[in-house]
Amino acid sequence: MNMMKLNIQLFAHHKGQGSTSNGRDSAGRRLGAKRADGQFITAGSIIYRQRGTKIFPGTNVRRGNDDTLYSTVDGILKFERLGRDRKQASVYPNA
Amino acid sequence: MLKVIITKDNNDIKRVEFQGHAMFDDFGKDIVCAAASSIMTTTVNACLKLDKDSIIYNYVDNGLVLDIVSNDMTTTKLVENMIELLEELENEYPKNIKVK
Repeated sequence: MNMMKLNIQLFAHHKGQGSTSNGRDSAGRRLGAKRADGQFITAGSIIYRQRGTKIFPGTNVRRGNDDTLYSTVDGILKFERLGRDRKQASVYPNA
Repeated sequence: MLKVIITKDNNDIKRVEFQGHAMFDDFGKDIVCAAASSIMTTTVNACLKLDKDSIIYNYVDNGLVLDIVSNDMTTTKLVENMIELLEELENEYPKNIKVK
């Protein structure tokens, strides 16, 4: 019988390379502002992509069914405060 | 837990089985496993050095099996010493090794 080779971790357990069922994620939805404050925009232009109403529709601005804000007239875009802690986007036609 | 199972025949130790893992720490840091492996290997090689037919060892799925072939005094004393050392180890680390 051959001599035994010394293996001092013979009775140690190998921590299995566990697998995880995580690691998936959807692509970013590119939400957020699409026009800048004070910028001239045309009717129908998308102002803000959002989920829910981070920003509320103000004057001459409406909200689509995916909460997107868009302008209903040509004019200058303004982000304004709405009450104490809300924001709204409005479009004011050129004077 | 590492289990050391001793099989005797008329008070002679015939087989010593090592089953399982000490689970004291991760691979490479398991000192209980290191101690048990060293005690076992030293004993087996000492017996084989003196009589290469005194012991037969086999690696099995979950550990190792030692078959004590010869009953001469030296082999018997060395194997008994191994078991006593493993029992001492069991006293220190009861959660990681069990001699029965």
